[in-house]
Amino acid sequence: MALSEIQVKHVARLARLRVESDEIAQITQDLDRVLEYVAQLSQLDTDTVEPTMHVMGLAMPLRADEVKPSLPVDAALKNAPDPRDHMFGVPRIMDGGDA
Amino acid sequence: MNSGYDVIIGLEVHVELKTQSKLFCSCSASFGAEPNTHTCPVCLGMPGVLPVLNEEAVAYAVKAALALRCTVHPFSKFDRKQYFYPDLPKAYQISQYDQPLAEYGAVPIIVDGHVVKEVTVRRIHMEEDAGKLNHLGIRLGDAKGSLVDLNRAGVPLIEIVSEPDMRSADEARLYLTELRNVLSYLDISDLRMEEGSMRCDANVSLRPHDYVGSLEDLPRVEIKNVNSIRNVQRGIEYEVARQAELLARGERIVKETRGFDDQNGRTYSQRSKEEANDYRYFPEPDLPPLVLTQEAIERVARSLPPAPTVLREELQQAGVTAKEAEIIVGDRALWEYWREATTHYEDKRQVTNWILSDLSRLLNAHGDTWLTPRVTPAALADLLRLIANGTLSGRMAKEVLDRMYESGATAAQTVEAMGVSQITDHGAIQAVVQQVVADNPHVVQDYLNGKEKALGFLVGQVMKQTKGQAKPDMVNAILKGVIADYAKT
Amino acid sequence: MRAYDMTATEISQRVHRKEMSATECVREVADRITALEPLVGAFLHLDVQGALNQARAIDALSDDERQQMPLAGVPVAVKDNMTTMDMPTTAASKILEGFMAPYNATVVNRLKAAGAIIVGKTNMDEFAMGSSTEHSAYQLTHNPWDLSRVPGGSSGGSAAAVAARMVPIALGSDTGGSIRQPASYCGVTGLKPSYGRVSRYGLIAYASSLDQIGPLARSVDDVALLYDIIAGYDPLDATSIRAETARVSEGPVDWKGLRVGVPKEYLSADLGGVVAQRLQDVITQLEAQGASVLEVSLPHTAYAIATYYLIAPAEASSNLSRFDGVRYGYRASGADLLEMYENTRAQGFGPEVKRRILLGTHALSAGYYDAYYLKAQKVRTLIRQDFEQAFALVDVILTPTTPDVAFRFGEKSSDPLQMYLSDVYTVTANLAGIPAISTPAGLADGLPVGIQWLGPVMGEDRLLQVARGFEELWPSSTWPGLGGEA
Ligand SMILES: [Mg+2]
Ligand SMILES: [Zn+2]
Repeated sequence: MALSEIQVKHVARLARLRVESDEIAQITQDLDRVLEYVAQLSQLDTDTVEPTMHVMGLAMPLRADEVKPSLPVDAALKNAPDPRDHMFGVPRIMDGGDA
Repeated sequence: MNSGYDVIIGLEVHVELKTQSKLFCSCSASFGAEPNTHTCPVCLGMPGVLPVLNEEAVAYAVKAALALRCTVHPFSKFDRKQYFYPDLPKAYQISQYDQPLAEYGAVPIIVDGHVVKEVTVRRIHMEEDAGKLNHLGIRLGDAKGSLVDLNRAGVPLIEIVSEPDMRSADEARLYLTELRNVLSYLDISDLRMEEGSMRCDANVSLRPHDYVGSLEDLPRVEIKNVNSIRNVQRGIEYEVARQAELLARGERIVKETRGFDDQNGRTYSQRSKEEANDYRYFPEPDLPPLVLTQEAIERVARSLPPAPTVLREELQQAGVTAKEAEIIVGDRALWEYWREATTHYEDKRQVTNWILSDLSRLLNAHGDTWLTPRVTPAALADLLRLIANGTLSGRMAKEVLDRMYESGATAAQTVEAMGVSQITDHGAIQAVVQQVVADNPHVVQDYLNGKEKALGFLVGQVMKQTKGQAKPDMVNAILKGVIADYAKT
Repeated sequence: MRAYDMTATEISQRVHRKEMSATECVREVADRITALEPLVGAFLHLDVQGALNQARAIDALSDDERQQMPLAGVPVAVKDNMTTMDMPTTAASKILEGFMAPYNATVVNRLKAAGAIIVGKTNMDEFAMGSSTEHSAYQLTHNPWDLSRVPGGSSGGSAAAVAARMVPIALGSDTGGSIRQPASYCGVTGLKPSYGRVSRYGLIAYASSLDQIGPLARSVDDVALLYDIIAGYDPLDATSIRAETARVSEGPVDWKGLRVGVPKEYLSADLGGVVAQRLQDVITQLEAQGASVLEVSLPHTAYAIATYYLIAPAEASSNLSRFDGVRYGYRASGADLLEMYENTRAQGFGPEVKRRILLGTHALSAGYYDAYYLKAQKVRTLIRQDFEQAFALVDVILTPTTPDVAFRFGEKSSDPLQMYLSDVYTVTANLAGIPAISTPAGLADGLPVGIQWLGPVMGEDRLLQVARGFEELWPSSTWPGLGGEA
């Protein structure tokens, strides 16, 4: 199943990666080769095989509901590209997003 | 009733759990702190950090699931729901996708104290809340930018998803009312829609009678984040009318997300789902599956308070009417008041009357709720005892209650301060009655001539002279006796 | 003997006995790093002053306190994908340039508590994606044995620093071979522990279900020493194992009782002549010691690379979504949020990282999840079962670490798929969650050849014991001469 450039653009949008038009052909070709290679997995019959989502088979450890000190707000914002009023500034949002 | 189509409504309700700390880190989950003061590397989504699940959040979620009569699964898992938005630090929300904590419960819809329908709860899952965006501008579209506060990011939520079982905005309102009611008895959330600790998204579609496809394929409109039960109802009503109009004009209904404007009562388009979200769910590799033993689930089950339906029945057995029981149980604080008052005073009928009439009137007048009544259940019981032992008449008791509500004093203190108490001394009343009879010979004569009304005037005179404190039935009896004696003379 | 020639074990003993101060040790090591770093390029960040301050603090402790520290005064290098509060952490990516984490990785805290002195952060392939360290956004690291060759990757800086005797021990991380392959190329020993043995808290995630931190050193004893410090349950990592870390047994390995498996599927492939020959020599040696070398079968080996290159990019695409220019790291300009996101990530990530993000996003997207990610996790089960069956028959499994010795810069980086295929011997241990160690097996044409030992889940103690036995059998007598020294 070869990948189309349109599909690559769609995936790039999902991943929020700008892909320039002069890159798209090479990227599509690279991805295609890998996808062609991994297609060999379809040779295996795995209908009755459980996936390994967690290799050690552990159960969830739980944490006691106790409050510990948060970061000082300056430390929380220390690496921020656009800190404003103790918050993280972002450019204007044109679509509704999800939330 | 609409002709030509059925209204199909399903609700997704998010409830913030009031644990001390967040779902996956130890930051405080409390509301209202200064921006970003409740954040740490984990809830800021910094590189390399890992989530660790809060035990209490699980306990709360299991409580909710059992109270909503769901099956709690001994094995559930967490997944990543992926999308980019500045309020979502990791660009994925840790949620539960195909193996949720609990499934298949029910919420009764109650009208006049009777269950008229049950709405199926399809699933309940745990997830983390997002942060908050403050837009620099009036509307999102023309804002110059936004500021992100991540204090709420990572606060535990449960999402309660109903089947599309509701057929009217009114049913949706009743579902939400009862859902909130059931949860209120569990003490797991503030359940305040205005503050966002309970949020509702409503899925609304119209199914033409001649439609043959599945419900899933009906074009569905999702009304997002409405801030009160009343507004959910209004939003759905508007949306039903809007869609009906579209259908009537032969137009297509677009699958989309709409907001609700409570100023004008309309819904407005936020984002069409033409470019559908692809959340790329996959199992959260940082969290092993959540395994709950049957024993642990049963332990929570045993700790559950009785369900509101059970409480309503108990009240009816105590002589409270179905409608009254619905009112009382419908407000947990009111129910607790009732329960405590009835432990102090046996006549449950009398307690119910006073709570639902005079005390309710006072609360409303003062803008108070049953969480902060200014007359305690014990104080109300004391007042009722003064009526029973004849110290106060019913009418006097109302005045005393008014004063008690203002001052916070006990019934006895108030009675003393007001200088009121019923005169039950036979001799004292007789002396006043004799005086009144002597002063009003014509009225007495009228009465003797068969004018029944005249007696009322004389009683009024006695009450006036005793400042209303004479016991009314004694006044009546004594007055009749004195007039009889008078007639003989 | 100079401090930089000593093993970590020797340094800490001398510091404990006060035959050498931590400060002296750090000074000598710092001088050597300063001299060799222009040739090797192992470090992204060096903090000589900070290291000296730490050393003085160790020297100022009471004797008793120092005795409690198994790594007292030992200089250590840490791969730059583990967070440190007092040094930048970039994962060799432009998107994290200058990032100062307000928290230490758990392994970093454990090192400090053990008295180790972190001298710097080592170069790597960006976000650990690569096998040559050529994918660093900042610099190349040169193989100390031949400066025209790569050190391997992604933990290339750590392996090169240890091989060049700039530090006795270093931490790397291993998602598909990123400790073992550079250890092999640089002629040092590197262990990937069982999944969950070492806390991942503070390790910048590449593929969460595969990532493990592990030690690199010039001797098995040093690997074991460092492993002992970093292994153990961490309440901050829900996937870390609660089991006690078994102390590595001191006694010599009993070759006569040892069953060594050699998977037939690993020998048939396009194994380079040098490596195939060396593996044969090793087998002959082991048999001469009385070990029984048996052929075992791992039938799903052929699918391992495909499985790995679906699971790892899928998880990576999700893990790397947080680099969005909002809370930290690089931000490009953009007229609106969407543009800012897309520009930031396009400019902040290198080409290999972008390739894997796109591949992984595709593998998880609607309509492809079942065929790609889910399918790969099912095949992963089959690969795991292969090992379970094999370990019912043998104690350890012996394989090459890599198909060939270290290659020259630029030789493989032009063809991504070709580079992926060279991970064939190492990815299975990550998929199965089992421990694996690469040990040097001498040189070939002046370049190190490594062999890999695989053990059953939680079998680190036995694995290390075997590796130590092999080290005695096949000692590495020389180290690369650099900067005119012998
Ligand atoms: Mg949700
Ligand atoms: Zn936090």
